Amino acid sequence: MMTENERWLTAHHDPLAALYTFSACMALADLHGDGESKLIIADLGTGAYNMKLKVYKGTSLMSENTLIDLPTGVITFHMDTTEPRVPAVAVASGSYIYIYKNLRPYFKFTLPTLEVNSAEFDAWSQARDELLDVSMLYEILDSLRQEVGECGLTTRSQRFLMCPDHASQATFLNQHKGFILKRQTVVTCFATLKKSHAEDDAISCLVLGTESANIFILDPEAFTILNSGKRLWSLKLPAAITCVETLEIRTLGLTLTALGMADNRVMIYRDKHLVDTIYTEDRISAMKFGRFGREDNTLVLVMKGGGLLVKILKRTARFEIEEAQGSSHALAVKLNIPKKTKLFVDQTMRERENCVLMHRVFQHDLYRLRLNTARAYVQSLETSSNPVSLSQTEPLKLSAQVLGLGPTFKLRVELQNTSSTSPSLQLAVIFHCDDRIYSVNKSYIQIPILIPGVIHVAETLVTCISELGISDTVRVFVVKGKASRPLLTAVISMPVAEIFMGS
Amino acid sequence: MDGVVGALINTNIKYKSGTCTAEKSLYTMNPVTETPESQVNGMTTTTVPPGSALKAKSRPRKAPELQTVERRNWLIHLHYVRKEFDLCKHLIREQLEETRGMCEYANYVQGLILRQEGKIQESFELFQLCNILNPSSVENIKQMARALFLLGRHKLAVEAYLQAEDKLDKPDWELHHNLGVCYLHLKDYDGSREQLMFALEQNKHHQTFAVLAKLYLLVNDVSSAISTYRAAIEYFPENGDLHTALGLLYMQTGKYQQAFEHLGTTLTFDPNNTRAILAAGSMMQSHQDFDVALAKYRVAAQSIAESPPLWNNIAMCFFGKRKYVASISCLKRANYLAPFDWKILYNLGLVHLTMQQYTSAFHFLSAAVNLRPTKGHIFMLLAISLTYLDDEENARQAYEQAVRLEERDPSICLNYGIFLHNHNDKEGAIKMINEFEVRMVKFRHATGADLDTEIIENGAKLASLLGVDGSVFRKKPGRTRLDAQDETVLLEKTASVTDTLKPVEESVCQSPPPVPTAIPELNPSEVPDAGNTAVLVPPMEALTLEEPPAFVSDSSNARGKFLASARLQFQEDESKVTDTENKKETPNSGFAEYSDDIFD
Repeated sequence: MMTENERWLTAHHDPLAALYTFSACMALADLHGDGESKLIIADLGTGAYNMKLKVYKGTSLMSENTLIDLPTGVITFHMDTTEPRVPAVAVASGSYIYIYKNLRPYFKFTLPTLEVNSAEFDAWSQARDELLDVSMLYEILDSLRQEVGECGLTTRSQRFLMCPDHASQATFLNQHKGFILKRQTVVTCFATLKKSHAEDDAISCLVLGTESANIFILDPEAFTILNSGKRLWSLKLPAAITCVETLEIRTLGLTLTALGMADNRVMIYRDKHLVDTIYTEDRISAMKFGRFGREDNTLVLVMKGGGLLVKILKRTARFEIEEAQGSSHALAVKLNIPKKTKLFVDQTMRERENCVLMHRVFQHDLYRLRLNTARAYVQSLETSSNPVSLSQTEPLKLSAQVLGLGPTFKLRVELQNTSSTSPSLQLAVIFHCDDRIYSVNKSYIQIPILIPGVIHVAETLVTCISELGISDTVRVFVVKGKASRPLLTAVISMPVAEIFMGS
Repeated sequence: MDGVVGALINTNIKYKSGTCTAEKSLYTMNPVTETPESQVNGMTTTTVPPGSALKAKSRPRKAPELQTVERRNWLIHLHYVRKEFDLCKHLIREQLEETRGMCEYANYVQGLILRQEGKIQESFELFQLCNILNPSSVENIKQMARALFLLGRHKLAVEAYLQAEDKLDKPDWELHHNLGVCYLHLKDYDGSREQLMFALEQNKHHQTFAVLAKLYLLVNDVSSAISTYRAAIEYFPENGDLHTALGLLYMQTGKYQQAFEHLGTTLTFDPNNTRAILAAGSMMQSHQDFDVALAKYRVAAQSIAESPPLWNNIAMCFFGKRKYVASISCLKRANYLAPFDWKILYNLGLVHLTMQQYTSAFHFLSAAVNLRPTKGHIFMLLAISLTYLDDEENARQAYEQAVRLEERDPSICLNYGIFLHNHNDKEGAIKMINEFEVRMVKFRHATGADLDTEIIENGAKLASLLGVDGSVFRKKPGRTRLDAQDETVLLEKTASVTDTLKPVEESVCQSPPPVPTAIPELNPSEVPDAGNTAVLVPPMEALTLEEPPAFVSDSSNARGKFLASARLQFQEDESKVTDTENKKETPNSGFAEYSDDIFD
């Protein structure tokens, strides 16, 4: 971790500021016309209550106004030409825009209501006049929902349809039927647009984006822009981005992009070149760059844990693109190749001197290994001590499981006829073990006719009776009729019993 | 009056403490400009906690405020795009509890999160639910189709996309792109091409170009694939992936100049593009430019330190620089990372042969030949190692196999000829030298270049020993020696060089070959067969299955004088095969390398 970034000074750090906010809910503006820029933060509180509009003067909290609903965004703008030129603060929240002047509530704008579906309107009017009963209203609205979709209905209808039973629906209807049906939407984002002049303190219009996919421009005339572009370039980043902020540094004539990353840092890009990184103690949740106090280039960072960090750009800071930074870095890195060891050299020498002998010994041993394997295999075939029968007449497959911790285990044997057509008859399973160590509940189990493909399960209990705490093997034989040679054999290595009766 | 309303009241109680103060401030506020009465009223109502029965009673004229179902959609969205899934899920849970699961957007984002978590089936069900809540939305159907696509049910996905298309009033490139991809998976290449072309008409997207090019490659239309990439690059001149893909394609078609240009462009915009680095590096390697290639690989090693082709190529760079120990280290790492890549094993065999470690070479080569039993070159190296291991019979069989499988390379015939000559099979040797001549002529004819002078000289030597007319060999070298030393890709070199090249192309684009292992315990019935294939030895008739010869070879007397005379020939034989060992160096020169600093 980098200790202290040489381009930025830490002006203020309050890890316990307890802020829950987004970049859109932060603004920097000279609210009092005293040349000192304040930080305005709309705090989402806990996400459900305790929402506040906070204003910081320098490093101290100057004022706090309670907000009623979750704030979507904060913007400062000039709404008139009065002197001194003091901007108003607009807070978007739910269906409203609250406007504050001199940090006092000043005006509230309510979003225009949306058009109510005529069928829905009629239904509610008829319900009000008691031409429709509750269940009929429910049916009409439900079918209307399937037609226009959930979001095409008014909140009242949506909530009505959420009522789980007749009684609650009736209560709801009585409570609401007397009022005008309205369909409201909420603000999701907003920005400003200069009305006629481009100066910093010229009058601006508010531009609102709503959930109903409309754009409202206050000081009206609504229009939408359709634009399609192509991707110029893309960068693969080491972590998820949590927020983005443009750093417009007028003194340097530069526009940089700051990315708040999920891995506790802010990466600053000039075009696609990384020019600076600020490491932080927590994930960045929101960022704002601009004039704060009397300092032009200030970056205000809000952490996920609620901390507030203010960084000031040093006047000497430059953001030059370091050419081929990545490749020169890589050139310096050596390839990680293991060093040769004396052992390696010795072994190489030995091989060179004795290669023929080594080869022959190896081949010889390999040959013997194969021979032994083949012999063992033939032997297991001859004694039927394998769990899959290869005989043409009785193709069978056996698998066994041991269940339990002991001293009593359950032995579960699955037997399957692997032929395609012929069923197996007269089969039996026999368990065989050392009777000094285990006692088997049912050592002989008759198997009914075995149909191809179907798995038959034979189970028995096996109790460990030895007190020596040892385990042994249990052999499972599958026999047919009175034949003395088993068809299959499985050898089960029993686990050591973990619990003993006596102890 | 139960669940819902109860919940509402609960949340409202939480609001209350804040509400009172807010109300106060709103009441006391003194508008500078007069606002219409209705608006002021509207303002005060918002401060009334919605659903609060008390307030509603005290002011009966006001409708009980209902909170909009969508009011927190933006917050869910914001946390979703920031990948703060835990917070997001928490919000969604609250929202769904409050709305009895009726909030479309909460369900939608829940579906997206589940998809990211790999729970495709569950996410599909949520999108289905969204579609029931809002049947008019095309987005929900598109997401359902996407889920079906991810579940591999391409037919159903196509149906869903077509259904979505019906609902659209204007074409959507994404929909047509996805349809194209679905058709591609359904092997309906015409349908796919049609959709992709249409998508491109709507919007030039780099992904669509890439899929279209892939489609052309699937139907073996390389020239269309190339022109698609070229068109794409016109729109996206800085897109490294497109340049790399085009460069690799040029490489496959043998247009190395163009390939190098595009790979170079990639590296200009994206110096860490590992695919381009590997491809460009392998081209530099083939021009003996080992240091530059190594510099490139060093960059790549930062990001793909576990790539088998990368370590293979690095190893072959060291091999070219005669740093054999380093080469072995790197190859062993590559082999560790990709144990079933026959090319790495082949290279390991080659380097060990050079190091005169014939036993080790034999092991690696036999492993390689098991994985790729159709490659003549492996058999040739195997035969050489067997020759040194004094296993004449198996060496002969390996040579036979090599000559049969590899029908073009003249060097196999020459090596076999030398072997036969050394083992007193004059007739066979003459046959081979003739075959060598035929192949050499064909090679000259086909490539316009000549063989490595060393090979030709050895051919001439063998011809004179056999008393065959070796004029073909003697005449040519004079003329070709010059260009042979310079530019021509020497044939023997191709043995090692192509093998450094190929892994790049293959393993960048494809997965390694299937793994032929036999696990006897799982299917005991196959043990006798499995026993054969699982061992390290090529599955040739009795190649190593025969009883090993007695260690005190009684043939040593009989062959003693012959071996003495053959010593010289063997050295020639070896130096040709391993090719990179300089003729001037003694056979022991491998060890001289140890004293050098083989690590940079």
